[in-house]
Amino acid sequence: MASFESVLLRNRGVEGSTTLKVYESRGGYQAVRKALKQTPEEIVEEVKKANLRGRGGAGFPAGVKWGFLPKDRKKTLLCVNGDESEPPTFCNRVLMEHDPHQMIEGTIIAAYAVQAQTVYIYLRGEFHEQFHIMQKAVDQAYAAGYLGEKIFGSDFSVHMYLHRGAGAYVCGEETGLIESLEGKRGWPRIKPPFPAIEGAFRLPTVVNNVETLSCVPHIIERGAEWFTGIGPSHSSGPKLFCISGPVNRPGCYEGAMDITVRDLIEREDMGAGMVDGKQVKAVFPGGCSMGILTADELDMKLDFDDPRNFGLLGLGTAAAVVIPHDMDMRIVLRNMARFYGTESCGQCTQCREGTAWMHKIATRIAADAGRLEDLDILLETARNMGMMPGLSICGLPDGATFPIETIVKKFRSELETSISAQPSGRVEDLLKVLN
Amino acid sequence: MAKIIIDSQEVECRDGVTALQAAIEAGWDIPHYCYHPGLSVVASCRLCLMEMKMPHPQTKEMGWAPKLLPSCQTPVRDGMEIRFHTDKVKKNQEDCMEFFLLNHPLDCPVCDQAGECYLQDYSYKFGKAESRMVDQKIKNPKKDIGPHTLLYQDRCVLCTRCVRFAQEVSGTHELCIVNRGSRAEIDVFPGIPLDNPLQGNVVDICPVGCLLDKDFLFQRRVWELKRGESICPGCARGCAISIDHADEKVYRLKPRYNPEVNDWWMCDEGRFGFAYVHDNKRITSPLVRRGKEPSTPNWQDLPAVVRYRFEQFVGEQGGEKVVAVLSPFMANEEAWLLARFIRDVAPQASLAIGPVPFEGEDQNFPAGASGDDIKFTILKEKAPNRRGIESLLESLGGSVLTFEQFVEKTNAGDVKAAWVVGGYPKPWIDKDTAKIANKFDLLVTQDIFEYKFTDAADIVLQACAWTEREGSFTNADGLTQPFHWAIAPPDGVRRDGQYLFEMAGETGLYRAAQVREMMTDSVPTLSQLHEAQARPVHAH
Repeated sequence: MASFESVLLRNRGVEGSTTLKVYESRGGYQAVRKALKQTPEEIVEEVKKANLRGRGGAGFPAGVKWGFLPKDRKKTLLCVNGDESEPPTFCNRVLMEHDPHQMIEGTIIAAYAVQAQTVYIYLRGEFHEQFHIMQKAVDQAYAAGYLGEKIFGSDFSVHMYLHRGAGAYVCGEETGLIESLEGKRGWPRIKPPFPAIEGAFRLPTVVNNVETLSCVPHIIERGAEWFTGIGPSHSSGPKLFCISGPVNRPGCYEGAMDITVRDLIEREDMGAGMVDGKQVKAVFPGGCSMGILTADELDMKLDFDDPRNFGLLGLGTAAAVVIPHDMDMRIVLRNMARFYGTESCGQCTQCREGTAWMHKIATRIAADAGRLEDLDILLETARNMGMMPGLSICGLPDGATFPIETIVKKFRSELETSISAQPSGRVEDLLKVLN
Repeated sequence: MAKIIIDSQEVECRDGVTALQAAIEAGWDIPHYCYHPGLSVVASCRLCLMEMKMPHPQTKEMGWAPKLLPSCQTPVRDGMEIRFHTDKVKKNQEDCMEFFLLNHPLDCPVCDQAGECYLQDYSYKFGKAESRMVDQKIKNPKKDIGPHTLLYQDRCVLCTRCVRFAQEVSGTHELCIVNRGSRAEIDVFPGIPLDNPLQGNVVDICPVGCLLDKDFLFQRRVWELKRGESICPGCARGCAISIDHADEKVYRLKPRYNPEVNDWWMCDEGRFGFAYVHDNKRITSPLVRRGKEPSTPNWQDLPAVVRYRFEQFVGEQGGEKVVAVLSPFMANEEAWLLARFIRDVAPQASLAIGPVPFEGEDQNFPAGASGDDIKFTILKEKAPNRRGIESLLESLGGSVLTFEQFVEKTNAGDVKAAWVVGGYPKPWIDKDTAKIANKFDLLVTQDIFEYKFTDAADIVLQACAWTEREGSFTNADGLTQPFHWAIAPPDGVRRDGQYLFEMAGETGLYRAAQVREMMTDSVPTLSQLHEAQARPVHAH
């Protein structure tokens, strides 16, 4: 386990790591030179062989996604999803802040593989600093002839543009991102048509996550077999994990997907244990949307499949936030409900109304005026939303319901105790004021 | 023709329709808000969800998919199997209705939409009786978004039909959605009101009481209104409309679906242009002037009086000096009856068509569209029946004059007796024309309002507004469409068709269909009505 050699974060901490010079001196831009000598099909094949699963949350194999593009297309667009808005997640931010050229190189290879001559990098609105770092890196790449017409002396031309959103969670959904990129309101589109057939500006479009693309140069350079050799077979390759909350070393760390949530919290080269006097009560292991784990479930593996065994939606962004023992779960519940209540885009009925309703209920519970039946209403509302039962256009409501549902299910007795301990008459008083 | 199975019943449906359209056309009652046949599909209200049989991803065996699917977005395929009458589908409809009503103020008693509101109807048919929400509702103030429209955000279901209408049909893009999630609202940009020539349609397509018409605001409960089928006389387009009326008063006009002419839409000029119908300056009784003393004849005597005066004139000066000026606001049947009367008393009499008003240029929508992209047109020709009157004159033959020729001939003294029909909603006699008013020995006018001609006329007959008449108009494309009376004329006024019918020598009640039969020989083109293609209407 300790033998893991840093791949994606190998340049973090190196002085001047954001510059082209330092990146090249550490072996950068060799993979793209190698890639341009191969055919695009060979690269797609290699990435398929590496089973590079998307790092944005859903874990869909990138090579397969590229294969969905129609064969007879005239023009293709590549969008890089840098709208990293999932609560406690900052993997993409770290990659862009410390090693922008790694991502640019991966993007150029991906663009070549899908024959996209235009690349849009969509950054979330709040990424001011990261935008400037990225822009500088792109400018350097243009100046060096790595972007633009006939790059590296080949016949392939590619142009790269940065675009900043206005700050909306839903714009990280790929079709929401596309709408926003087109200058429209970031409302996810109905599918079909899927973006690979008709995406941004009605052209075939591939949308990939920053971290996914950052893996691509290493696959090309060291081969698919090296990649699949890291971690379990179905979840191979290096992965970034974030950890926050009351741990000794909150931050972003790299590892193979064979570690557990406990490792992430306890290992000295990762979270390094809880701060003095705090114990783990619960963990959101994969970004809030995936749901919550209790202190007894910390042996869950952080790979693409194990989370389902614990009632979670999936691996998500593999960004854990630790809830300490002295935190009231009603506050956690309210916080979760508030986030999705404000971030629902408002397009589909169930999500628009349901997230806001859950927020109202959770706020009331946190204000010592809950009713026991509110917990049932929360559970039922959570089941009445989402893409999985077919009730919405995008997956946002699924992400909104999993934390609520898992908190209510796994911490029900605590919530019930808190509600029963409320001062009597509190609910009636509050409802009188409200209505 | 695809064959699909809905709830175990085999149904035949048109090619290219969606599952929702197929089900509605086959008689299923499927709730829907965001879907409108004239607008793009957004599948966001999630009310029309259905179950569908699909091949299993691994075994390829056909079975009911675990997910619900939006029927408005799913095209039919031959052999497709879907179902709506299941607990799962019904549960979703119920939950949706609860969600829609979470923040609704339930102010039906003071809401104009009550009675034709799809929140009411769907709650009743598909919803639950009680809401479980006890928390505070979101309250939004009502907004004045344009000269004709009020927006009550509280009642909105965010179906975005209005926004899509402003984008896709009017092409004027005034409406948008601001804010996110449950705080999302329909709004206009600051300083840019909803002000386009088709704005009234957003009120029609709003399925709930969110967008309301200021003209109709608090005027009448909709269940007290009766609906009459008619044709808009505002321009030569001939949009199919309905006249909503009660107690012999017109309250509002609404478009009627006609795929050959106006689809689901009508323009504001037509929609709000009926105020003159209830103008108290209308002529409300006939008048006969002989010598200086005017007298009011009774209706029974009038046909004989008019006929006598014309016969007397023809006897003295001959039939060549008689002209009947037919108005482009007359129905084909009325014009034919008048022509028949005039040619009866004076076979050599000339027929003319009155002036056709034009305003500005034709306006196409979406703004700036051309060719097949045009979804609606407002014509500059502001009269409903020029084509009809022209083909009538052509078919009847004999001496036919233009209006200019009529004025010239009158000035030259070659016309001495005239029957001039007006019926225009606006003043229509210009200065030059007014000068000839005193040059007749016998002048009969038939008009809604008093103008120079009526002052000089020997016999004044009142015309009725189109809401009170029956007949047919032939539009710019040559389609002859029937319209029916909705309200009775003001007290003392007799319908044009009725007295013309009697003057033409007929007895009994004027009925347009009967006159059309009589016209078959002389004017075959106009006696054939345009039948709108029997295509189902699934808009609400």
